[in-house]
Amino acid sequence: MNYRALNPEDIQVFSEAISTFFERMTRQPAKVRTAYMLDQPEAIIWNDFNGVIHVSGGFRGTVCFSAPRGLLLEVLSAMGETEESPGNFLDVAGEIANILSGRARRHFGEALDIAPPVSCERDGTEIAKVAAGPAFAIPHTWGPYEANLVVHLDLIQRR
Amino acid sequence: MSARLLIVDDSNIIRNHIARLMGDPRLPSIEVVGLAGDGIKAVDLAKKTSPNLITMDLTMPNMDGEACIEQISKILPDARILVVSALSDKSTALRAITKGAHGFLQKPFTDESMVQSLLELMS
Repeated sequence: MNYRALNPEDIQVFSEAISTFFERMTRQPAKVRTAYMLDQPEAIIWNDFNGVIHVSGGFRGTVCFSAPRGLLLEVLSAMGETEESPGNFLDVAGEIANILSGRARRHFGEALDIAPPVSCERDGTEIAKVAAGPAFAIPHTWGPYEANLVVHLDLIQRR
Repeated sequence: MSARLLIVDDSNIIRNHIARLMGDPRLPSIEVVGLAGDGIKAVDLAKKTSPNLITMDLTMPNMDGEACIEQISKILPDARILVVSALSDKSTALRAITKGAHGFLQKPFTDESMVQSLLELMS
């Protein structure tokens, strides 16, 4: 089967998903900066908490939302959650990764098959490299916090 | 008689968020009769608690939301099911409706949109 790497239009879909998420969830927009290609896509466990979505169907790879504790605490607060437990930070990191991936189906269609999220802390399990093409980091700032969405996907080549 | 709500989502914080909203003064009396983190537990709780209102995630471990909707619709044909999912393509929403769901609310949702969706579902 032939796969292709993501193109700028594909990346833009995820950037818009980040903007929409923070605007709708917290009514405070995120500043989404220009995506860049990662030299070493294995090293995507960057921040305090990481939510990872494995993607299959007409695609292969992962989408990882990586954020500091402070950002997740404020998102939890916006959802009315007051308990500051590692379990809740892992849960919300996974849920954000799920929401951002789910929103991308508007562009990619239902062939983007999304698995339930897997979450880990900074020094958690290394994410298996599934896609062969390059990984892209989409850095964004929300309030004083810096987070990243790392998209590492190959798409089935459309004829 | 108050509505009896079963909340199905693999995220604990989403389940709790929806449960907390049941105290919203715009909503009629709604009793949360169960919280389920996957489709298998949801079907089990549906049999035990007979909810007439269900919020249903789609992407879940063990049994996904579509399969769960199909099973619960057979067990409780009068239950009103609101899909609450991150999946935002039209074909997914249409398929969920075909399986037996009555409404679709996209994540992330606001408190207002959840309240409005539940009111529409109960009207």
